[in-house]
Amino acid sequence: MTKPSPFSFRGRRALMVMRDDREISIVRRQLNRLGMTISEHDPAEAPPGETFDVIVMDADTIPIKSDLAAAWKIGAPIIALIGTETPSRLKWLLELHPASFLIKPLRSAGLYTALVVAFDSAQRRIDEAAYVERLEDRIRSRRVVFAAVLQIMRVHGLTETEAFALVRQTAMRHRTTIEQLSAEIIAVGGMPNRTTRTA
Amino acid sequence: MMAGEMRKSALMAVEEINGGDEFDFTFAPRLRDPGGVVAGYHTACADLIREDQVDHIVGCYTSASRKQVIPIVERTDRLLWHPARYEGFESSDNVIYVGAAPNQHVVPLVKHMLDHISGDVFCIGSNYIWTWEMNRVIREIVTSAGGRVLAERLLELGETAVDHIVKEIIDRKPPVVFNTLVGESSYAFMRALHVAATRAGLTIPMLSCSLCEPELKLIGSAASVGCITSSAYFESIEGPENRAFVARWKARHGADSNLSVDGQSTYVCVMLLARAIRRAGSVEVGAVRRAAANHHYDSPQGPVWVDPDNNHCFLTPRLARSVPGSQFKIFWQAEAPERPDPYLSNLDLTAIGSYLEKSDDAMSKRPNHLRVVK
Repeated sequence: MTKPSPFSFRGRRALMVMRDDREISIVRRQLNRLGMTISEHDPAEAPPGETFDVIVMDADTIPIKSDLAAAWKIGAPIIALIGTETPSRLKWLLELHPASFLIKPLRSAGLYTALVVAFDSAQRRIDEAAYVERLEDRIRSRRVVFAAVLQIMRVHGLTETEAFALVRQTAMRHRTTIEQLSAEIIAVGGMPNRTTRTA
Repeated sequence: MMAGEMRKSALMAVEEINGGDEFDFTFAPRLRDPGGVVAGYHTACADLIREDQVDHIVGCYTSASRKQVIPIVERTDRLLWHPARYEGFESSDNVIYVGAAPNQHVVPLVKHMLDHISGDVFCIGSNYIWTWEMNRVIREIVTSAGGRVLAERLLELGETAVDHIVKEIIDRKPPVVFNTLVGESSYAFMRALHVAATRAGLTIPMLSCSLCEPELKLIGSAASVGCITSSAYFESIEGPENRAFVARWKARHGADSNLSVDGQSTYVCVMLLARAIRRAGSVEVGAVRRAAANHHYDSPQGPVWVDPDNNHCFLTPRLARSVPGSQFKIFWQAEAPERPDPYLSNLDLTAIGSYLEKSDDAMSKRPNHLRVVK
């Protein structure tokens, strides 16, 4: 096992969706310097089946009115190479959620920054999606927590505030979540008796 | 001071080329001195290209000055021959990087530190891109190996009020100090730390990847001794090329003058350029760049050649300890010239991290190795 620096992209797979030979050679040289594996793909063709870590796409080579645009939203972060800055082209580009971009003409400087930003924003999107999912889980289990608090209020003759505090403290002591404990309370009809603590 | 050393070396190379029969052409140097004023480099470079019709430019010591020059040489397709070591993360097609890349200067020094001194390091440097990036690399390698960066202290460029940091070092007694200060700040710091450490009866090892012989003289013999330094060139390198080079230098500049890595590297720049022009049979930038690629030159620092993948040079990293007489005693050098890796793409933290585990007495060297984790 090797452990690269988080700022090293050695071994990551890049797909170049470009047409201009001069620009292809600039991007290829720079990706080679960074130790990345490189594949090329004709912009006129539908996206390939295999997965890539990053896509470097010449935005100017894909017609706006085509089915190809949507097909490129295949998950990998996209670095858009931009020549035309017209709103019609940029609006099309926004649909692809580019993770980063470079303005043409290209030079060797800039691509490394675009890659750093693209990989970072791709990671942020993954983290944020996971965070949203956790929040949605909690919203879904609100009804369960509410039912559990009602149950504890009835069984122990507590106010809502006291009942919630008890559930919260017990969850902390058992090192579980309020939502998980609430489900157990409903299942057993009261505060579960735990003899062993989950670590 | 470094600019003067570099100019002297460039002119020495030009005179040797013009005076010998190795080359069937001569160089006519055009000199500009922006004097370290960053904004002046843009103007000076534009002027050299427009007024003097220059195709090849040798120079720039700081990264700030190089960043001023790059847009012009790229736009006009000229070639900048850059002699100084730098922090990496650049590969312009219009620059030949003759100074060391980070895998050739800081990485071997940090490896040595982890292997033989300590994993706990106190960093002091200038509030400048060189130090910022050196500190990032040091922190990444050191923390990956289980060590700690005890402090990162920054001084403004040129600042010589160093007493508060010297006091902190004496109070905290770190096992090693990594010094990435530039120029006068570094000299003032080394003098002050030497006085304070001597008074306190302490010996604190110091590391540098930029110290050179003329600086040792400026700092003074007592304070400049014992600094472990990483460089591709030291005046004390054995070998006929360097002995002859040093003799020619001293004949020109006096027996008590010293060479420096940046001076030698500037000489190498001019020689690489001359050889590439001879091979290309032209001064045209594209032809010269192609001719320079992979062409070995037995320079004072040993074999040097340009890696066409990134326009940086294969160089031999070396580690040395500064000794009395403004000299360095080399105690390690790479077995062969090392491929430049300006983006540190090949840096493997696992390989470095395992040094500490492999070493039998790592624990005794690093009393803070184990910490209670709750």
